[in-house]
Amino acid sequence: MASTRDIRRRIKSVKNTRQITKAMELVAASKMKKAQQLALAGRPYTQLLSGMIAALAPRVAELKHPFLDQREVKTRGILLVTTDKGLCGPLNANLFKLVTEIKTPAKFFTMGRKGAQFIARTHRDLAADFAVQDRAPFAEVKVAIEHMVQKYLEGEIDTVEVIYSRFKNTLVQESALRPVLPLASLASFISQAQADAGTTVTKQDDRDMIFEPSAPKVLEALLPFYVNRQIYQLVLSARASEHSARMVAMKTAKDNATKLVGELSLEYNKARQAAITQEILEIAAAQFAA
Amino acid sequence: MSLTLEIVTPEARVYSDTIDTVVIPTVDGEIGILPGHIPLLTQVADGELRVTKGGKELFLAVGDGFAQVEGDKISILAERAITEEKIDEAAVEEALKRAEAQLKDAAHLDPAEQEHLHSVMRFAGVQLALKRRKR
Repeated sequence: MASTRDIRRRIKSVKNTRQITKAMELVAASKMKKAQQLALAGRPYTQLLSGMIAALAPRVAELKHPFLDQREVKTRGILLVTTDKGLCGPLNANLFKLVTEIKTPAKFFTMGRKGAQFIARTHRDLAADFAVQDRAPFAEVKVAIEHMVQKYLEGEIDTVEVIYSRFKNTLVQESALRPVLPLASLASFISQAQADAGTTVTKQDDRDMIFEPSAPKVLEALLPFYVNRQIYQLVLSARASEHSARMVAMKTAKDNATKLVGELSLEYNKARQAAITQEILEIAAAQFAA
Repeated sequence: MSLTLEIVTPEARVYSDTIDTVVIPTVDGEIGILPGHIPLLTQVADGELRVTKGGKELFLAVGDGFAQVEGDKISILAERAITEEKIDEAAVEEALKRAEAQLKDAAHLDPAEQEHLHSVMRFAGVQLALKRRKR
């Protein structure tokens, strides 16, 4: 049996760990609230926007815009949105699993240090890494989006896709691959998502759509706006996931530490008791002998 | 047949109801929508949006966005939107002043930021005009 001193030392160290994880849990919880609010508030807007684009899809053939062109995919462009810091459970590992499933040639753009490290470590093609603050201000995310769109228009990459952790609720985040460009693939993706969610597809009005002031002008404004908004929403969702996952991980760690302290205290008391009994025995034995 | 109107901003769903008619401010001028309107996709400009429901009129200030009419469903995506009774005149004036002050030393600001401030000011103007005209 370990000596009482050893056990005492361990209890102390576990208690310290518990204090740290508890503090981190509280920090994550407050950040989580804000991030979740942002992510959830923006959702109806983005959904409606996707709906608008989806409604365009049947008419894509007659519309001309680089975002709508379906071209042969040689190199995929993938934006990997991960966290900067660890200690958030399996969040990043799940994202990396998705990355390893990609066998076709792809260029990676990362947001978050963990993702950049992973891509570099596994010798994948890391095209650019973007640092985005914790609050994910739009101005910073926009830099990344514009860079990717630029590359897409130049033909260096043929798709724009985002790997991120989709925020479902505080306990559940799932890693997902979301195609953004070209928009031709969007309609099928949206109907898929709607079918998954169990919502019915809104009935289509099959009369010709009119555009005011003109189709090119509306598309010129709507499509880039859509891409920005969509990717930004994904980043917000990833941030909400990050803080939720971290809070849950820290809560588990804290609970484990509490349990461990309990067990160790029990062991410590037993050891102490044993030592006292031992001592009494020794004294009694010595008296007997005298 | 009635129309359903939905107005959504990045922050919230501002308005969602069944209505009789709506007049939307667009970059080409106002467009009135009645039931059975042909599918339409248009750009929304800063301005006032008039909703008629059961003989009553409701006013909203909207700014920068897109509107889509499909079947009997009208969706409006706006950067900003506020119903008339929620407009706080003092707060709007305050915001207007702040934006003006920031624009004074426009040299530090990048074009995107300047554009943002201008649109804030336009929207503030729309809100004030709407509020004051009612009196």
